Amino acid sequence: MARPLGPVRLKKASPVTLAIGAVFCILVLYFLIGSSAPDFSASRKASAASHPLSPPTSPFRKSTGGGKPKAPPVAHYNLNNVTITSDPLGNRENILLLTPMARFYQQYWDNLLKLSYPHELITLGFILPKTKEGNAATTELQKQIAKTQKSGPEKDRFKSIIILRQDFDPPLQSQDEAERHKIQNQKVRRAAMAKARNSLLFTTLGPATSWVLWLDADVIETPASLIQDLARHNKPVIAPNCFQRFYNTEKKAMDERPYDFNNWQDSPTAVELAKKMGPDDILLEGYADMATYRALMAYMHKADGLRQETVPLDGVGGAALLVKADVHRDGAMFPPFSFYHLIETEGFAKMAKRLGWQPFGLPNYKVYHYNE
Amino acid sequence: MLPFTSSGSKVVPRHHVSGYSNGYPRGNTFEISPHRFTPRGTTPISRRRKRLFVRLGIVAAILFLFGLITWNGGSVLSVLSLGLLSSSDGFQLETVRYYDLSNVQGTARGWEREERILLCVPLRDAESHLGMFFSHLKNFTYPHNLIDLAFLVSDSKDRTLDVLTESLEEIQNDADENQHFGEISIIEKDFGQIVNQDVESRHGFAAQAPRRKLMARARNWLLSAALRPYHSWVYWRDVDVETAPFTILEDLMRHNKDVIVPNVWRPLPDWLGGEQPYDLNSWQESETALALADTLDEDAVIVEGYAEYATWRPHLAYLRDPYGDPDMEMEIDGVGGVSILAKARVFRYGAHFPAFSFEKHAETEGFGKMAKKMQFSVVGLPHYTIWHLYEPSVDDIKHMEQMEKERLAKEAEEKEKAEKSKKIKEEFGDATGQWEQDKTKLQNIALQAKKEKEAAEKKTEDQPAAAAQAPAQGQQKVEEKQGGAKT
Repeated sequence: MARPLGPVRLKKASPVTLAIGAVFCILVLYFLIGSSAPDFSASRKASAASHPLSPPTSPFRKSTGGGKPKAPPVAHYNLNNVTITSDPLGNRENILLLTPMARFYQQYWDNLLKLSYPHELITLGFILPKTKEGNAATTELQKQIAKTQKSGPEKDRFKSIIILRQDFDPPLQSQDEAERHKIQNQKVRRAAMAKARNSLLFTTLGPATSWVLWLDADVIETPASLIQDLARHNKPVIAPNCFQRFYNTEKKAMDERPYDFNNWQDSPTAVELAKKMGPDDILLEGYADMATYRALMAYMHKADGLRQETVPLDGVGGAALLVKADVHRDGAMFPPFSFYHLIETEGFAKMAKRLGWQPFGLPNYKVYHYNE
Repeated sequence: MLPFTSSGSKVVPRHHVSGYSNGYPRGNTFEISPHRFTPRGTTPISRRRKRLFVRLGIVAAILFLFGLITWNGGSVLSVLSLGLLSSSDGFQLETVRYYDLSNVQGTARGWEREERILLCVPLRDAESHLGMFFSHLKNFTYPHNLIDLAFLVSDSKDRTLDVLTESLEEIQNDADENQHFGEISIIEKDFGQIVNQDVESRHGFAAQAPRRKLMARARNWLLSAALRPYHSWVYWRDVDVETAPFTILEDLMRHNKDVIVPNVWRPLPDWLGGEQPYDLNSWQESETALALADTLDEDAVIVEGYAEYATWRPHLAYLRDPYGDPDMEMEIDGVGGVSILAKARVFRYGAHFPAFSFEKHAETEGFGKMAKKMQFSVVGLPHYTIWHLYEPSVDDIKHMEQMEKERLAKEAEEKEKAEKSKKIKEEFGDATGQWEQDKTKLQNIALQAKKEKEAAEKKTEDQPAAAAQAPAQGQQKVEEKQGGAKT
């Protein structure tokens, strides 16, 4: 034997080795705990569904253990108990915030996070087209969602988020403002938009929603108390006035101008125009070669007007729109066809009226559209 | 065996022995034995301090980490269990759902592609039909785990809700896993009842428009609460279907149409003809009806099957041939609601059951119109029939009462007749039996007489007078009897 055997004494570990070991231990510990999903408070857990097959407006329990999944439970929902009142905060009413999205704007997301309504009562729903642009927007959106829902503070996290991808191709590849607003493209474009809105609405509405807030992806600035402010009026359908900030070269300063012309009150001229049209033709607002002389809410805005002032409307836009869930449940949807010569959001207003729900507008309550 | 192992009980450390392994004893040489125990001296103060710092550092790091996790909303327990037991004290929440709607378009062979169906059933005071409905449900051949059930219970005064819940829980707890359905939602919503649910008030003409609008609202509420992004198909089914093939879902799906309905008939009692078309809401549009629609005001609703609106439309129901090809399709414009299979896409895009007058139609007929307007295919199968339960109308009940009365009267009459004839028989006896008896008696007598005659012939001389007397007596008796029967 070359080397004599004997009780081998451990070599003295250097403090550096110990320190590295400790760091590793901590890392292992950290990943063991940190790898699990973010923890939620008890009240959020209580409202969660127990099975993945459940209304998407609430989060569900992820199956952690192996073993066979249990049969889904028999779930009861009493819609008589779903309140829709002027005090949604006090009655802890659930809001479904729906956004058809073609492009992702960081300002839009930041604005969402600033909403002062408790986020644990807000469910977000998105629908994006399956185009190159849509894919990019989805990636961006998912990045922001992961940031908020996984690592953000709990008060920022939303109750539940649904991302849908459209099952039809948008008729126009270009989202250019000029191309988008061409009159001959409008009917096809808005029919596709209506289908996207309906797809998003009817798959996410669920049995617990009290209010549906439609907010376009290019609305980048709203008051933080938007939901409370709109719900306070307790109207079936209510639309704020959508403006756009721009740099006024004449005044050499930032200025704002009306943007959404789909909020209007009907005029005798428009009624006459409609009578002469074919059954599938639609009347559009904001085009010079089709003067309707409708009273547009965009121009009813007064700088010194009361923010709470309401006006009844016959057509609404979708930039921002708060709707009682019951209106949608009764069947009011965004017609993707000519409905009384109206389409999409304007057709929705008409359909709501046919069902006995009167839409209203807030001419002096402003939200802002992105400027391209 | 080795030399050093045999050195008695005294165990000598091996290396000491091996030190002499070359055979030569070492002298008193200088030796440093690193393996011999030497008591440790005191560690230098600098190293002790360093070690203290390291230990303090570790403790601080652990405390920091602990604090970080608990402050971030985690529980102390989850840290102590190293996150491994976190599932035991609670569960993890998933808040984000992602769905690609192009994966749920609906195809002709949905069961192979695991396409989910939403089965919608509107209910009101339907307790008595639930047993029959569940027997149909259990027999569906479409994989149960792919069927999501949604029920709307509205304005019910009977035990519909309790019976429904019990039956569903029984199915979900069934030992046979193939019986378990997917998501099950029971939705309660009262709309305030405008019309009674009994047959007469339900089918009266005046009640139709408001009733249909209300039904439409109920259907829309049910659908909007239960439709999910993962549904490929939606199947509407009434509880009061009595007979339908178990394969109905696959049968309808195979046609790969956007909206498809079977023919709906109902069996009738024999006195009413045995069977009858039931669902008259599946029809093709006619010029007459379009012209009629133009004359009506905005809120009017054309309802089919009433003399008030003669539309002259071809009805799916009347085109049935019991021996026709069940796969034959027919384009229709209005659909009936007893059994509708539609692609979920139809409802996702916005088609619904108008609770207002949509092109002068409401509910399922309006749905057919709206689906057509949105360029969906709407098809009926004239020779594929399911059977609706027969519920007698008030007239039928009256008629049946009348028939029952007649039957009873007839029975009583027959009974009376039978009794009368029995009485007659009792009073006057039965002649036929007597005849036979008499006949045999007569024959006996005749026989006896013959014998006697023969005997007498033998002794002719002895007793000629006695032989002549006997037949005469028998004849007298017969004459007496005959006289009695004649009277």
